[in-house]
Amino acid sequence: MAVCVAVIAKENYPLYIRSVPTENELKFHYTVHTSLDVVDEKISAMGKALVDQRELYLGLLYPTEDYKVYGYVTNSKVKFVMVVDSSNTALRDNEIRSMFRKLHNSYTDIMCNPFYNPGDRIHSRAFDNMVNSMMMQVC
Amino acid sequence: MSRQAGRGTESKKMYWYLPFISPSASMHLMNSELFTLTYGALVTQLCKDYENDEDVNKQLDKMGYNIGVRLIEDFLARSNVGRCHDFRETADVIAKIAFKMYLGITPSITNWSPGGDEFSLILENNPLVDFVELPDNHSTLIYSNLLCGVLRGALEMVQMAVDVKFVQDTLKGDSVTEIRMKFIRRIEDNLPAGEE
Repeated sequence: MAVCVAVIAKENYPLYIRSVPTENELKFHYTVHTSLDVVDEKISAMGKALVDQRELYLGLLYPTEDYKVYGYVTNSKVKFVMVVDSSNTALRDNEIRSMFRKLHNSYTDIMCNPFYNPGDRIHSRAFDNMVNSMMMQVC
Repeated sequence: MSRQAGRGTESKKMYWYLPFISPSASMHLMNSELFTLTYGALVTQLCKDYENDEDVNKQLDKMGYNIGVRLIEDFLARSNVGRCHDFRETADVIAKIAFKMYLGITPSITNWSPGGDEFSLILENNPLVDFVELPDNHSTLIYSNLLCGVLRGALEMVQMAVDVKFVQDTLKGDSVTEIRMKFIRRIEDNLPAGEE
């Protein structure tokens, strides 16, 4: 279960950030912002080879003592960043990949909404529901 | 509704018939996403041009009317149905043949009024509204109003004046999309419209 999910546009501004619990939100915003550097580093490192050899899933960006940060970048340079709690060790790589795939599919659905202008903040109810299902359940 | 199963495997295709211009014209398979996106672009452009949901609804109805008066010819040529004897037959033809031919869906017919002149078409899924979420500032927009115009225009060409409107819409939170059709009168073609 994720603790924070963020969608970052190509120009590196956030399209969607959601974290639970809602206090300490600023800390997660800061974490996501710093993780963008790691994302850029990974993209440029692999970018020397042909573009289609690069995988969309970037893997663990960096771990801290409280949580781990995972990244995923699409071919249109839209980045998905997910922060998960370190204490939740049961989370396997496959599960993270499938969560990113779900995010990517929901993002594509939003892009197809004719009322959505690319570059706007994301206000979709369907996207919120999907992210809710992925977030940690806080009692 | 989620398209996760569809994407990545094979995309949904719909049968798209060319207008009946020659006997050799044939049926094409068209990707339904292109159709949905085109309709979506049309509606959003109208919203930007008119700024007012009521005007957009009227324009969609007018456009649908223009499509309907032409589409009926193609439909009659292609489907070879005979004259309908009463409104119930008309309803059956609309739901089972026309909708299936042009949109690939078969709505169900319910809620007949006691006099037999009003009924409802229930659409479980509407291909025009895949992926669409109405923003809050367009809450009175009837997104699929083009369909009302098409039905009205087509039936007018076969001498039936009908009133078509949406009573339920999945975009506004209802579970199904319901279109109510009411027979007003038979049109006697004594005078062309406008020459009273």
